[in-house]
Amino acid sequence: MKKLAIILGVLVALGLLILILIAVAGGSYNRLVKLSQAVDSQWAQVQNVYQRRADLVPNLVATVSGAANFEKSTLTEITAARASVGQVKIDPNTAPSDPAKLAAFEQAQGQLSSALSRLLVVVERYPDLKATENFRDLQAQLEGTENRISVERRDFNQAVQNYNTAIKSFPAMFYAGAFGFHEKPYFAATAGAETPPKVQFDFNNPAAATNH
Amino acid sequence: MRRLCAILVLLFGFRLFAAEVIPPPPTAYFNDYAHVVSAGTAAQLNQTLEDFERQSSDQIVVAVFPKMQSDSSIEDYTVRVARSWQAGQKGKNNGAVLFVFKQEHKMFLQVGYGLEGVLPDALCKRIIDEQITPRFKAGDYDGGLTAGVQAVIAATKGEYKGTGGTVADNRTPHGSSSPFLGFGFIVLIVIIIFFARGSGMFLPWLLLSSNGSSRGWGGGGFSSGGGFSGGGGFSGGGGSFGGGGAGGSW
Repeated sequence: MKKLAIILGVLVALGLLILILIAVAGGSYNRLVKLSQAVDSQWAQVQNVYQRRADLVPNLVATVSGAANFEKSTLTEITAARASVGQVKIDPNTAPSDPAKLAAFEQAQGQLSSALSRLLVVVERYPDLKATENFRDLQAQLEGTENRISVERRDFNQAVQNYNTAIKSFPAMFYAGAFGFHEKPYFAATAGAETPPKVQFDFNNPAAATNH
Repeated sequence: MRRLCAILVLLFGFRLFAAEVIPPPPTAYFNDYAHVVSAGTAAQLNQTLEDFERQSSDQIVVAVFPKMQSDSSIEDYTVRVARSWQAGQKGKNNGAVLFVFKQEHKMFLQVGYGLEGVLPDALCKRIIDEQITPRFKAGDYDGGLTAGVQAVIAATKGEYKGTGGTVADNRTPHGSSSPFLGFGFIVLIVIIIFFARGSGMFLPWLLLSSNGSSRGWGGGGFSSGGGFSGGGGFSGGGGSFGGGGAGGSW
């Protein structure tokens, strides 16, 4: 009688253990789905803030070109960079799975970044333009957008890291590949991903801006 | 030995370089850690901001620090601090934090996602340049911060509706954890003990059960401080920040 009770107890315990294992495996799969979706939604945020910056460019160009004999080459460069940003087509709703695609996106955005910072350096030579309310507002918007970009990029990398860690951890590592969970690429930590390009906007210190 | 010293210095030096302090969430709306504002003004601004949360649910916080404890840029550092303080209501993200660093003569107004519409970067820049900076330059911290707070309130008024209470009013101590696994584990152990009782296997199971229970409940029970009960004081509502806002120096 006692033996039967022990056997029964062990069986019930085993059954519960299996149930818990299933719950854990299911939970882990659901977690991967969630993490993958977090990366995608964070990618949408990244696209948003880059779009926000691209949207500022026409206004900026219009304001600046209104200034008397403003350097034309800087403006041409910005317009060209803005156009090439528009040509890199990436699905805004799904984070890129191909590192080369992300790199191309980054390169185009990086060109626009450096063109914009060059513009702000050139503006130093036009104190009248710098003092206008319109330009100051645009400058504040541009700075705020650069901040947002660096924040969203960092959040994106964090989301990718959480996801990549999860697919390589137990127990997901056994089935992640089979269910189509593959490693996702990060933003490179160059070009001001970690620290926003603050010197480029530091108008009090143009020397620091030019040597960047 | 010398090499060891060099390594230690290198390590220590690196640590110094990388040192960054994220200050803990404040317990008041207006926090003058640098002691630049008169007590009367501080109390009054604190009351104004608390009333504003009751009225609008917006959480606007001011923090004046003696110096910035980070090697990062001010916009990057303050967005992380503002996020850790969680100013603004969860879901609405209607918080804003004005950071002032006395030694660096720098400030930054961080704006939560939900207030970016009424407090766009250009407006933040104007509030800082036109309301705060001139007064700070003249050494009038009381006047600068009062004007700044009023300008931020004027801009954000009407965007959200308040509940008449604050997060600190409603906060009750609660332990949160995901109890499912711990609970399942305990049920399992109880059943095993139940069946194994009297079979001479009791002692090992008992040991296991005490292990299991400590693992099951260990993660829970954390409640973020505050320490204020029955009203008064600031307590972050869970809002998030995305780098909106503007900064300036004086």
